[in-house]
Amino acid sequence: MILVIDALNRHLFDDVLDEMFKLRKRVFADRMGWDVTVRNGREMDEFDELDPAYIVCLDDRHQVTGCARLLQTTGPHMLSDVFYDILDGEPPLRSVTIWESTRFCVDRDKLTKGRARNSVSYATCELMAGILEYGRDSGIQDIITVIDPVMDRVMKRSDNAPYGYVGKTADMGKVKALAALCDCTDERIARVRAFAGIEGDIFLDEQAVLEGRKSAGMDSLGTELETYCDAQIAAATSQHERAAALALREALTEMLRSRRNINA
Amino acid sequence: MELVDLAATPQGQSDFVRYLAQVCDQTGVEYASYAAASPVNGKVFAFTTYPDRWKQHYMQQELHLADPTLHTASRSIAPVDWSRLERTESFNSVFDQARDFGIPDVGLTIPIRGPYGETGLFSVTSSTTPEDWLKLRKRIIADLQLAAVYMHDRVMKSDRLIDLLRYPALSRREIEILQWVAAGKTQQDIGDILSISPRTVEVHLRSSREKLNALSTAQAVGRAISMGLISPS
Repeated sequence: MILVIDALNRHLFDDVLDEMFKLRKRVFADRMGWDVTVRNGREMDEFDELDPAYIVCLDDRHQVTGCARLLQTTGPHMLSDVFYDILDGEPPLRSVTIWESTRFCVDRDKLTKGRARNSVSYATCELMAGILEYGRDSGIQDIITVIDPVMDRVMKRSDNAPYGYVGKTADMGKVKALAALCDCTDERIARVRAFAGIEGDIFLDEQAVLEGRKSAGMDSLGTELETYCDAQIAAATSQHERAAALALREALTEMLRSRRNINA
Repeated sequence: MELVDLAATPQGQSDFVRYLAQVCDQTGVEYASYAAASPVNGKVFAFTTYPDRWKQHYMQQELHLADPTLHTASRSIAPVDWSRLERTESFNSVFDQARDFGIPDVGLTIPIRGPYGETGLFSVTSSTTPEDWLKLRKRIIADLQLAAVYMHDRVMKSDRLIDLLRYPALSRREIEILQWVAAGKTQQDIGDILSISPRTVEVHLRSSREKLNALSTAQAVGRAISMGLISPS
């Protein structure tokens, strides 16, 4: 299922985003070897500071299994400010009805093979449907997405072939990247859904996620420490500070857990 | 932060308000307004179809300093339905007063991020029930997005400094396609000539129109010719 996190609700889901940044590190830095910045075991860049919208895929236990990041093309975005190579030095497309999707990935370690609900294939399609539906419902007509040739093949196989490309294929570290175009039409959404067998509303209710994660025992810190950590996270004024506050909470959780194990 | 009512400025900005009124008529919303902060001098430009009484009250009380439809909405990339803002204190402080002036609290704000970090905010309110609003919103959201960017470009052009910065940066592909349009080719023709899909042609044309601040492709071709970006054929 899909959770949309943006500047308006991210204070509720800092821990989900933290999991997401760690997933991005495993995928883009470790597995794909992209030339990305990793701090504290998390992959983040300057576009994460620009209040993007994150489309986050969660499994039935509300654990992060995939994500993508959306930005308006009228403002600063990756194709305009980073991927000059793809555009060959040309100015990017700019339209209020086109969004840019970047950092699309799923967690191969948590997901299974095959086509069932918790498979890589299903999560990939759910994520694609999430991007397209969130765009469509916001009045967006097209998504331009920066992907590698593998993702391009995945999209073609999932009955979600891009209708066009912009610029050229460029080198990004060990692999190549290209910019593909997809329309947010009902037809395309129906094709992706049909391919994976996705039915019904895929968007999660905020409250349900909060309660689900709480009862899954994600918060194993003592009340006082937890309050302190939450206050630190809430008071963070930059992505960097937030990451540091989250790392502190994680370290404390880990420490307390191991101490409990020793005592027991 | 200074708030400037654009309708009251001498440069004849009342056509902005007329445009907003048109948007209201065409989409069936009650009121529309637009606000943007200049990245150059931080001034907030605004105009609206709200009744004068509310406008004066809003300016006198400097409600723009607390208004969540401005501050919170500017950080979203998608349109922000005001139902998402209801939980905040600032929402109540502004909307309790709005209600006294008969301003509905059902509505949404569309944030437009510009290339120089500026944000334009286009808001509409509706006096329908929340259920009818959902249906109306679905139908008009795409039109509102286009209206929002049109307003934003017009206002940004009215700021001389920004206008100088905003010389349209068209890509070679966009120029090439406009040149073929000027030669009388259809989108299908152009797609065949350039070996790209018609929708890719269309997406470049849409981007060109917005960069040239044109409402139609014909107008975009005219502007591109007058700027010497393409040649008349």
